[in-house]
Amino acid sequence: MITKDEVLKLANLARLDFSDEELDKIIRDMDDIIAFADTINNSVEGDAEKIRTVSTNAIPAEDCREDVVKESLPNEKILSNVNGSKGMFCVKGGI
Amino acid sequence: MKELISPLSKLLQTKEISAVELTEKYINAVEAENKKYNAFVSTTFDKALENAKTADKMFANGTATALTGIPMTLKDNICSDGDLTTCCSKILEGFRPYYDATVWSKLKAQGAVMLGKTNMDEFAMGSTSETSCYGAPLNPRNVNHVTGGSSGGGASAVAGNIAAYALGSDTGGSVRQPASFCGIVGLKPTYGAVSRYGLIAYGSSLDQIGVLANSVKDTAVVFDAISGVDANDQTSVDFSFGSIADSLENTDVKGLKIGIAKEYFEGINSEIKDAISDAVKLFEANGAEIIDISLPVLKQALPVYYIIACAEASSNLGRYDGIRYGYRAENFNDVEEMILKTRTQGFGDEVKRRIMLGTYVLSSGYYDAYYKKACLLRENLIADFDEIFNSCDILIAPTAPNTAFPLNYSGASPVDMYLSDIATVPINITGVPAVSVPIKNDSNGLPIGMQIIGKKFSEKTIMQAAYFYEKTAEDMVGNVEGGVQL
Repeated sequence: MITKDEVLKLANLARLDFSDEELDKIIRDMDDIIAFADTINNSVEGDAEKIRTVSTNAIPAEDCREDVVKESLPNEKILSNVNGSKGMFCVKGGI
Repeated sequence: MKELISPLSKLLQTKEISAVELTEKYINAVEAENKKYNAFVSTTFDKALENAKTADKMFANGTATALTGIPMTLKDNICSDGDLTTCCSKILEGFRPYYDATVWSKLKAQGAVMLGKTNMDEFAMGSTSETSCYGAPLNPRNVNHVTGGSSGGGASAVAGNIAAYALGSDTGGSVRQPASFCGIVGLKPTYGAVSRYGLIAYGSSLDQIGVLANSVKDTAVVFDAISGVDANDQTSVDFSFGSIADSLENTDVKGLKIGIAKEYFEGINSEIKDAISDAVKLFEANGAEIIDISLPVLKQALPVYYIIACAEASSNLGRYDGIRYGYRAENFNDVEEMILKTRTQGFGDEVKRRIMLGTYVLSSGYYDAYYKKACLLRENLIADFDEIFNSCDILIAPTAPNTAFPLNYSGASPVDMYLSDIATVPINITGVPAVSVPIKNDSNGLPIGMQIIGKKFSEKTIMQAAYFYEKTAEDMVGNVEGGVQL
């Protein structure tokens, strides 16, 4: 069972806020989903040595493409979706 | 369903209709029918007419291809320069990308005509397209039923005959399942076969852009145009498929080894089971060899999928902070509060649920117990699929354990809905290709889809098998009335 404190800690990490009513629902949903996710533990329980050998799919440096400098998109185009930018600042208001 | 792209292309080539005239007909059809289907969430008609003028020039100067002048759609998570692209989420309200996805660059270079962006589950998280902030698209086969998801708008547009084909994305079945529910063809290519550059990320190790179309041949023509390596996507692969569309004629299934995994048929609707069984008999009667196999790891695929997909989603969706693009909450005192309010108000319930689960499985103390174990099991699944494909050329399975749900299927819990992805997620976990082909309607008149699965980069084999079925079997699904009037 996941506790209310754990859910609040996760919500803080995920930058999400829940009302009391929403919190009850997300606790119930997460309990169900974690129980469902837990079924994988029946398959590899205690197999810690194997778990440590899981590969990370890292791409070797020699397989990376050449680091070639290309023309960049114009700044004004990249900033076209920013609401309320001012100079180099993107959020207007008292920040 | 009938082939559409080649006949349209012939009309254009013979100048019986111009690309501009064809586009105008499709625009009229979208304006008339989209109120009924809610397939499009934004339209790009002015640009479509510009695309069509370019297409007419290509016909005039002899540079036209099979897709020149053919009207199509992009899912609302595929970027195109200057066009609204919101992932059907409030948090990306008003977002206009400043570059084209590679798939759209390739199609545009071939003279394709984009009519607009299609409806989807918010951030592609769902199996019904009902988590869209624009409301659900409706199934042209029966508007009281969902289209499936998450590429439901594209499936609805193609089945409703208001777009010739659509591009979607498939992270756990999001092209194949709506194709199955709407009675059209849906291809999820091998991971790496099609560039993901410009596809807004959900689960990056699982996401793949796919094709929704009326027929296997149409699907192959589009796949031929969008596949290939791309310097902007390091996971794309340089593999020469040749022309799959050209390889379809004279397909023979004699000697084709078809694996039937019993685990795929456990707990599915009996009508679907019988329909797939009949389809398999058709292959067998034409010389294919049927091999009964067991894939016990399939049972682990769903929890593995949800752990990995949610972990990747929680990371990928961390970028939505109200600063760089999209929606921003009002009335805040500092940046922390602004980000918290923006994310809380901007994301829907299902997205929040998956972000929370992803944060949980990646957090200290649970990473080894869930995420790392899921990665290990994923490797086991890949190894088991590799072994199966040593003895079988293709696998045949249902695309979904059910036909299209009724709208507002609210009785189901999140876990119940996740279970409906049982037949499609193993394909994404293992990175192999699969195509869903409509085979018949159930007793309620809703289409049943058959999934043909192959080993990595065997698109030619699975598409040939699908084409054989389409040409040999009686068309028991048919076309929806209405849509574009030619």
